[in-house]
Amino acid sequence: MRRILLFTSFCLAALVASAQDLISKIPSNASVVFSIKGKNITDLVSTSEFENSKIGKLFLKELDKETKGKVTSIETLGIDVTQNFYYFLQAEESIFTHCFLIPLKNKEGFLSLLSDRKKENLVTEKGISYFTDSYDSAVTMWNDDTLLVVYTQDGNKYDAYSYDYETETALDAVEPSYEVAEDIAIEAPEAVIEEAPIEAEASYEEEIIIDAVEPSNDNYYTSDYYKAQAIERENARVKREEEREERRKASLIKTLERAKSILAGNYENGSILINSNYVKSVGNDKDEAILWVNDFGSIYDQALPLMLGGLSNPYEMFNFKSLYGGMSLTSKLNFEESKASIKTIYTMNDEMASYSREMYNGKMNSNFFKYINEDNLQGYFAINMSTEGILNAYPKMLENMFVGVEKEHLEDFIPISTRLISLLLDEEAIAKIIRGDMLFVMTGLEQKEVTYTTYEYDENYESTEVIKTKNETLPNFLFMITSEEKEIFSRLMRIGSKEGVIIEQNGMYQINIPNMPFSLYMIFKDNTLLIGNSSKDMMAIHNGSFHAKFSGKHKKLIAKNSTSIYINGQQIVSQIPVGMMPQAYEQKLNYISENVEDVIFKIGKIKGNVIEGEMILNTPLGKGHKNSLAYFINMMDTLVD
Amino acid sequence: MIKKITQYTLLAFAITLCTSCFEILEEINLNSDGSGTMLVTFNLSKSKTKLASIMLLDSVNGHKIPSKDDINRALKDAENHLKTINGITNIKKTADYQNYIFTISCNFDKVVSLDAVFQELIRKQNKKEQTNFNTTNFSYDKNTNNFQRKFTYDAALKKAFYKLKGEDRKIFEDATYTSIYRFNDSVENVSNSNAKVSPNKKAVLLKIDVMALILGEKSIANTIQLFK
Repeated sequence: MRRILLFTSFCLAALVASAQDLISKIPSNASVVFSIKGKNITDLVSTSEFENSKIGKLFLKELDKETKGKVTSIETLGIDVTQNFYYFLQAEESIFTHCFLIPLKNKEGFLSLLSDRKKENLVTEKGISYFTDSYDSAVTMWNDDTLLVVYTQDGNKYDAYSYDYETETALDAVEPSYEVAEDIAIEAPEAVIEEAPIEAEASYEEEIIIDAVEPSNDNYYTSDYYKAQAIERENARVKREEEREERRKASLIKTLERAKSILAGNYENGSILINSNYVKSVGNDKDEAILWVNDFGSIYDQALPLMLGGLSNPYEMFNFKSLYGGMSLTSKLNFEESKASIKTIYTMNDEMASYSREMYNGKMNSNFFKYINEDNLQGYFAINMSTEGILNAYPKMLENMFVGVEKEHLEDFIPISTRLISLLLDEEAIAKIIRGDMLFVMTGLEQKEVTYTTYEYDENYESTEVIKTKNETLPNFLFMITSEEKEIFSRLMRIGSKEGVIIEQNGMYQINIPNMPFSLYMIFKDNTLLIGNSSKDMMAIHNGSFHAKFSGKHKKLIAKNSTSIYINGQQIVSQIPVGMMPQAYEQKLNYISENVEDVIFKIGKIKGNVIEGEMILNTPLGKGHKNSLAYFINMMDTLVD
Repeated sequence: MIKKITQYTLLAFAITLCTSCFEILEEINLNSDGSGTMLVTFNLSKSKTKLASIMLLDSVNGHKIPSKDDINRALKDAENHLKTINGITNIKKTADYQNYIFTISCNFDKVVSLDAVFQELIRKQNKKEQTNFNTTNFSYDKNTNNFQRKFTYDAALKKAFYKLKGEDRKIFEDATYTSIYRFNDSVENVSNSNAKVSPNKKAVLLKIDVMALILGEKSIANTIQLFK
């Protein structure tokens, strides 16, 4: 049942709006908060619009099946889709408490989801009802307008199925005769093995000695000692189980108390709304969903024992706090009229920010733009980093990771190693070879002739292998790297030419790569190394006759960000030869072709201690999609079988 | 690095754009005493652009992509299997990863030995998938000088095909199966109407689309009567 509710909250989140917002039930010290803004979503796509869509119908069908016909619409689910849904995580003393807050419209609707057995175990007191699950310390609790699901993970204990070494050691202590006798007996033949020239003889003696002291298996399993040991083991198991049960009960009591306090929302230190960091990060209320993570450093600290199952921490040699301490993240999902976007803001601590500043201090080579024609552009991937900055920052970052780590003298050894590496490397010289800015451009699709092997038969049907050709649609690309070391490039090409793997064509170099249906061409022009697979474009670039066309929009996107990806959906789809697609996809391809727009992903440059990333999916206007959320639903309606 | 970039770029497009098909060639040279040679060729050359790219992946459409090691192991297994059969000698295999052409060949002392090559494999397949493929594929009667290629269609083939996703089915659309049987004696007649007898009357060629075979529209079964 909990599965249905969680599934509903997050899958169907799309349909939610706020009387008394449940945010007041989130404590101020929550480490993670994820919210789905109901009103914003239902303003974009109404409940009935969703229910009538193909995906909505599938969802309701699944719900109907899961609830054996008790729930046939979102209305009957009892959840108030006009309010906000929340998930939050509290991490305290290595105990992780996961909480889901779901707004209720009609608790009777929700109650109808419960099995009779669950209903029998319901506890109702002071206006709240709940049932518990001791196995994973989970509590499902509700009042008239809120449903709360809480479960905890305790990183301090690793007891669920752990082996009880203590009891076993105690048992071993009282297990005298057989093992001791066997150990002695086995040690004896080892001496014999050393002296004996023939190994087979040694094995023979070993067997005799063991046989002489060890009772047969039958005797062992019927011996009084074995029976006593079995009783001891059983007693220990029962004791362990009782202790586990006790711990589960204690944990469940704590979870229950916590659930009551969350539902009441009367926190001594106030709710998350007084957490200025949260309020500032979340900002205005125009987004459809928001994820906020407060402090990665403390979450790592709390999570490590849990992730490692309570065992000793192999990561204790790393100073995680120096890297991740004080770092926070806010991610916002936004559906607008003509675009859907996820914007993530990552705030670093001063130290990490200083390293990142060095690494991301790249300068994009404007010469790159002279070799692109936007008319055929399918997409690109640009990286704007500083090789020198990376080589300078990494050793410092590494040193910082081991500050205060006394184990194995790492605190001293690591800086010695990094200094030695720095001495060996000439960061400035390396940066001259690869400066750190590069651009990979998909320049279009082209029909290319490729060869294949088949057979021909003479009049007597003797077969002979023949090479034939056929046309295949293949992508063209261009990869550009800034470098000042033309000399190294020229020497490498000369070696390649002499070795016969590179063919020179008036300063343009051709490489034939095995298994590839095309050749690669390389040229070095000004301060740029260009590698591409279109001989026509490469020759034009080399001759200076290339017709470049690249708009300011793209130049800005590439130059102003440390990483940018652009995919021209319309261009890609329009260039796919329909005949090459299965017939069943032709209609869908046409629909996609008419409705697809471009996708942009970018990671900005660091500003202060903040770095921003954003993924934008542009959606078409005037194609019958009232907004970008409706666009997704419409696309699914058309494309999902 | 350049090779990797190229391959991954190609990969992004190859899965949807490049054609994928294959041809299977089964050649048997039969001597009058019933001995002979067999060569089976699996030619994926027409799909080599796509294959070179998808070999970079672990799986496509949920199907595991075999690595070169996997393919070599499979060929080795086939070779080992042939070695266990009495009367099979001179086993040879080739793997050309430039063109994606794989062959396996052997000599056989009599057609019964050749038949034994597939018998156990088909028996296992029938048991595992509850299919009803005939376990005898080849037979030769020296007295009547009659050679038979047997094949019983099982609708399970069609059923399995329709269980595949649309993209996977496309692989079979342009695939062909060709069998060439060559004899010392001249061919008197053939039972399969799709089979062609060579002008010198000493070879029979049967080329059919794999799709026709899967759907049961055409058969590779053929009874070849040779002049005595």
